[in-house]
Amino acid sequence: MPKRSSKQSSPSRNPKLSQSRQIKDELWQQQQWIELFSEVTFKIRQSLQLKEILRATVTEVQRILQADRVLIYQVFADGTGKAISEAVLPEYTAILDLEFPQEVFPEEYQKLYSEGRVRAIANVHDPSEGLADCLIEFINQFEIKAKLIVPILQNSPAPNEAHHQKLWGLLIAHHCDRPRPWGEFELQLMQQLASQISIALAQAQLLEHLEEMVEVRTVELKDANHNLQQEINDRRQAEAALRRNEEQLRLITNALPVLIAYVDQQQHYQFNNQAYEDWLGQSPVNIYGSHLQEVWGEDCYQRMQTHVEAALSGLVVTYENEIVLKGDRPCSISMTYIPHVNEQNVVQGFFALASDISDRKAIERMKDEFISVVSHELRTPLTSLHSALKILTTGRLGTLSADGQQMLEIADENTERLVRLVNNVLDLQRIEAGEVTMEKHTCSATELMVQATEAMQPMAHQHGVKFSTQPVNIPLWVDSDYIVQALTNLLSNAIKFSPQGGTVWLTVERHSSEALFQVRDEGQGIPANKLERIFERFHQVDSSDSRKKGGTGLGLAICRKIIEQHDGKIWAESTLGQGSVFSFTLPAQE
Amino acid sequence: MTTKRVLIIDDEETIQTVVQFGIRMRAGWQVLTASSGMQGIQTAQAERPDVILLDVMMPEMDGIDTFKNLQSHPKTEQIPVIFLTAKAQTVEKRQFNELGVSGVITKPFNSLDLPDQIAKILRWSLPL
Repeated sequence: MPKRSSKQSSPSRNPKLSQSRQIKDELWQQQQWIELFSEVTFKIRQSLQLKEILRATVTEVQRILQADRVLIYQVFADGTGKAISEAVLPEYTAILDLEFPQEVFPEEYQKLYSEGRVRAIANVHDPSEGLADCLIEFINQFEIKAKLIVPILQNSPAPNEAHHQKLWGLLIAHHCDRPRPWGEFELQLMQQLASQISIALAQAQLLEHLEEMVEVRTVELKDANHNLQQEINDRRQAEAALRRNEEQLRLITNALPVLIAYVDQQQHYQFNNQAYEDWLGQSPVNIYGSHLQEVWGEDCYQRMQTHVEAALSGLVVTYENEIVLKGDRPCSISMTYIPHVNEQNVVQGFFALASDISDRKAIERMKDEFISVVSHELRTPLTSLHSALKILTTGRLGTLSADGQQMLEIADENTERLVRLVNNVLDLQRIEAGEVTMEKHTCSATELMVQATEAMQPMAHQHGVKFSTQPVNIPLWVDSDYIVQALTNLLSNAIKFSPQGGTVWLTVERHSSEALFQVRDEGQGIPANKLERIFERFHQVDSSDSRKKGGTGLGLAICRKIIEQHDGKIWAESTLGQGSVFSFTLPAQE
Repeated sequence: MTTKRVLIIDDEETIQTVVQFGIRMRAGWQVLTASSGMQGIQTAQAERPDVILLDVMMPEMDGIDTFKNLQSHPKTEQIPVIFLTAKAQTVEKRQFNELGVSGVITKPFNSLDLPDQIAKILRWSLPL
C-alpha cells in the first residue's frame, strides 16, 4: 500500500538524498501503480457481467486511490443520470441509485466529457475551478472536498460515424475529509481504467446482445418444437382415427354377405371385401390391382362389360348375372354399380355391390313351375268338364226342367270362366317370367286386324254389336299371334261393354315410326281415376258388373305385357256415359 | 262326303268320352279310342282312321314318340296327326310343326268344336 503523498514531507534534510529518495519513492510508487493496475485490470476482466465489472472497478479504485468514494455514474439519453456502482467509506452517504436531474450535469459539460476531458478538482470550493453554484450546493450535501472525473466513452454504434464516441458515463472519485491534489499517475490510472471499462462495456453489451439473441432463438426454437409436437400429435391422432375408420369399414364390409368392391376407371380392383374370398376363393390381397376380366374370366366379363361401361359413364346400374362360386357352384347375383364422381364431376371409378339372389331365383322358378304345373294339370279336367257341359246344353241328350236348365247354364258359364282364367293366368305368368319368346316377323297391320275381327265376329253377333274397321297396310315387326291376342282382348272388352245395336271401331294410323291402333266403343265409360289401374292384374272397373260379363281381370294386364314386349305403349281414354278408346302403339317398319 | 273316322289317343278316359260324344253329336263321324301310345299304334295300323287326335302328355310313351312311331310305319305314315296339348306357345307350335304334325289343338277345348277345327286344319270341306 503506497503511502499517501504528503505535502508534509520535509525537504530541508539532505537534498540529494531526499531527491533520490523521492525518485525511489516515485518509482516504487509507479511500480505499485502498475502492479495495481494490472491487478485491477485482471479483476475487471475476470467477469463478463457488467455489474461485476463495475463493482470490481469502484472497489479497486477506491483501494488504490484511498478515496473516500468512488462511483460510476451512467448518463442517460435525456440528460439525467444515476450512480450505478459505488464503493464508499461507511462514514459517508451513499449516492448509489440516486437519480440526478438534468441540471446537475449540463449539456456543455456533457459535450466536454464526450471529447474525453478529464476533470481533476483538488478543492471544490476553490472558485478558480469554476463550478456552478448549484453544483457546489449539491457537492456540499455529500461533503465532497475533492473530485476526479474521468469519462467512460463508448464507440457509437452508428456505422458512418466511425470515430464518433458517445459518453456512456463517468468514473468519479471523491475525497470527503479534505481537499486533495490528484497526482498525474492517478489521473492516468483512472483514464486507463475508464478505457478498460469501455472495453468491458462493449464486451458486456455484446454478451448481452448475444444472450438476448440466444434467448430469442431459444424461444423461437421452443415454439417451433412445440408446434411440431402438436403437428405430430395431430397427425398421429388423425392416423389413429383413420385406422379406426378403416378397421370399422373392414369389419362391416367383411361381415356382410355381399360382395363389395371399388373399381377404378381402368377397371382394376382397388378394394375388395372378405366375401370375395368366401365366394370366389380369391383373397382380396390377390385381387387387388387386377382387371375385372382377370378375376371373372372372359365369359362372365362379356356379360358384365356393357354395364361396367355404363357405370363408368356416370350411371347407376343394376343387373342380374349368373356366376360360378368356388367349388363350381352356380349362383345368381344381383349386381349394382354406383359411380364415384369427384367434385369436377369426373367419374373416378365405381362401387360394385353384389348380392346372392339364388334363393329368390329358385323360389321364382318354383313358383313358375308350380303355376305351370297346376294350370297344366287343370287343363285336362277342364277339357272334360267344359266339353261335357257343352254337350249337355245342346239338349240332344235330353232336356231338363226349367230349373235344371238354369243349373246347367250356371255350370256351363262358370266352366267357361275357369277356362279363360286358366288360359290367362298361364299366359300372364309366362310373359312376366320372360319365358315367352316373341317370335317377331314382318306382317301387315291389316292381317292382324282381319284375324282379330274374324275371331270376335261370333261374339259381336251374339251381343248385337257391329264392327267398323279401317285397315291400313302398315308393315310391322311383331309376333302376330300375340298382337292378335291383344286385339281380340280389346275387342272382346269393347263388345262386352257396348249397348245392343252399338258399334265398335277398330282403326290404325301411321305416325312417323309408329303404328297407332285404336279400339273405340260407345259403352258406359271408365272413371278417370281408374284409367291407369285397369291395366293392373285382377283389377276391374266395377267388379260386380264385370263378373257378370265374365271377365277375368287379367286381359288388360296381359295386353300391356304383350305391347311392352314389343316396345310399344298402351293406354285408355274415356268419357263417362259416352264410351272409351283403348290405344296402343307398335314400332312400324319402313 | 263319306263319314270320317277319327282315332283319339289319350290316357284320360273322360277325354275319350267327351270327344266321342262331341264329334258324333256335331258331325256324326265315327270315333275310335285308345288309352296309350302302344294301343294307339296298334289301332291305327288295324283301322287306318282318317285322322288321329294325339295327346302329347302320356305316361310311358308320350305323344312325340308315338308320333314318330306312326310316321315310321308304311301303314300309318300317311295318316294326318293333330296334337292335343296344354302347351301352345309359338315356340312349341313350331317344334311340333317341324316334327311334321298337321296341327295342334290346345286344351281346354270344347269337343263339339272339334270337327270344325279338324276340317279347318286339314282343309276338309264339310257339309253345311
